Amino acid sequence: MPDRLTAALRGNLDMAGLGALLVVLLAVYSHYDSQVFTPASITILSAQFLPLILAAMGQSTVMLAGGIDLSLGAVLSLAMAVFAVRAEDGVLVAAGLALAAAAATGAANGVLVAYAGLPPIIVTLAASFLWGGVTLVVLPQPGGSVPSGLVKAYNNGWNGLALPFVAIALVLLLWKLVRTTRFGLSLYAVGGNEHGAYASGIGTRKVKISAYALAGVFIGLAGIGLAIQTGSGDATIGTPYTLNSIAASVLAGVSFFGGVGQMRATVLAALLIGLLTNLLLFTGLSPFYQLIMQGAVLIVAIAVKTLATRERTQ
Amino acid sequence: MMTALSRTAGARGPVAALRDNRAAWAFGVLIVTWIAAIAFAKGFDSVSSVRYLTQTAAFLGIVAVGQTLVIMMSGIDLSVSGVVALSAVVCAQVAAGSGGPAGVAVALVASLLVGLANAAGVTWLRVPPMVMTLATGTIVAGALLVYTNGSPKSAKVPMLASLANDRVAGVPLAFVLWLGITAVAAWLLHASRAGRWVFALGNGERASRASGVPLARTAFIAYGACALLAGVSGLVLLGFTSTSSLTMGNPYQLLSIASVVLGGTSILGGRGHVLGTVAGALLLTLLTALLAAWNVSEGVRQIVLGLLIIALLLAYARERRS
Repeated sequence: MPDRLTAALRGNLDMAGLGALLVVLLAVYSHYDSQVFTPASITILSAQFLPLILAAMGQSTVMLAGGIDLSLGAVLSLAMAVFAVRAEDGVLVAAGLALAAAAATGAANGVLVAYAGLPPIIVTLAASFLWGGVTLVVLPQPGGSVPSGLVKAYNNGWNGLALPFVAIALVLLLWKLVRTTRFGLSLYAVGGNEHGAYASGIGTRKVKISAYALAGVFIGLAGIGLAIQTGSGDATIGTPYTLNSIAASVLAGVSFFGGVGQMRATVLAALLIGLLTNLLLFTGLSPFYQLIMQGAVLIVAIAVKTLATRERTQ
Repeated sequence: MMTALSRTAGARGPVAALRDNRAAWAFGVLIVTWIAAIAFAKGFDSVSSVRYLTQTAAFLGIVAVGQTLVIMMSGIDLSVSGVVALSAVVCAQVAAGSGGPAGVAVALVASLLVGLANAAGVTWLRVPPMVMTLATGTIVAGALLVYTNGSPKSAKVPMLASLANDRVAGVPLAFVLWLGITAVAAWLLHASRAGRWVFALGNGERASRASGVPLARTAFIAYGACALLAGVSGLVLLGFTSTSSLTMGNPYQLLSIASVVLGGTSILGGRGHVLGTVAGALLLTLLTALLAAWNVSEGVRQIVLGLLIIALLLAYARERRS
């Protein structure tokens, strides 16, 4: 029994570590904001953190397949712009359009990575230019609008229900379903050992394209969430999400070389980064320090991770 | 895979040799594009337009030379955009108080420090280059916001203004500077011992470490030089515009990498020539100028440039599957 316990712990080292960090962070947080554990506060915070959580899930999906997406911020902005421009004519249609656009851009990235023999960094960097341009065409100036009822329901709760919370739960459930399919298994296999996966009969190209497209869906949802949270669209607002999504994924233990990582850890890590950003505001420092903190968190997270794993493997 | 193998293993005629020399390809594409520009757009056939193109290409070209050094050792530097802005903003700020030379010196030291931090993270903390440089770039951007409180200064530094705008025998001084830097980089990369290390690391880190290539020293040279050159470019840009902004470096992140790869250097490192990067930077500047001549909106310009870069990459910068 103790053996099984330690085995389970070791298997969930990332989750345990992140959970512990989260508890510490929440303790500090409640010192600055004693209202943090009230339903109203939780609703607002989840509304605020939802875009980053979803974006991080998208980045993790790509990283699990052994890739990286530097166009994430541009695609997020694109989905946000499409949704904000069309939301007045019908929220569902707008959401469908935004999701379709984001999934299509993801699939395009995936096709280039899978078939063209170009490395993901260079493909997605060039794509960030391209999709950034498309976003500027859709929405040249910040604008568009989201029905105010929806904005209110999202940010303040709907009949006492925190909608963002529900959204995150649904998306995690979706991921859990995807994980059990053949595609979900292949995703990890392709990321872990592409040649091995190919040799054992997995269509590695199809898996990669699907992974980027699925990431596009997550990123599209993030963009829609951001549009509903802020009530409008902005073509340049997505940029910081690229770095933060990578930071969250890495913090969660998703390997850069693919094949290793858990989505629930990514959700926790994104939550941590969101809380940390808010904490920084409480300290009264200028918000300009946010960027410095984000970069520093990323470097420290990776350095600790690499040094720790190196010790374990030696 | 087999066909690629047999092609390289088989007899190589001059045609095959030319096909494999991707730096030569880059110049070929540049010349064809230039001829097309002269034929299909107005104003690309004058001496003054050639002058203007070589002058403005120098800003990108100097950054791209540094990027070549890093990419050749299978690294990548995504912090160049931050460093270009850092150098210009810091120089403008310091020059306003303590004069031009002090501004230039402080800016170059600050740029170099970022490069050394990149190298330290990559070699000692073992952070992947892409993430390390993305992170330092973000930290630099944040530090600049804090330093300038969001509104950077303008500054006229006569020395930099003449470096950016003067001519020697009709040739823009910025272009001469760029070619000089390229010559030094060509020697460093293709003739010096450090250059051999760079190529060795680009071809396989584990094997070269085992055979005694000093990873740390090579990384410090490559990332240090890259950041220093991004700083130089920021200074020339400051001289050109007399103003500094927090976002002035942004275009250089993608375009410097694109210049290197379009110039025929493998993005995975270990293969290519720094001269190809010169062609790559000229080509991208020419394409940007062409798009500007058509007077399209910012969004459309980005779309077309993004598509063109992807198309060019597909045409001749693909990696052989191994």
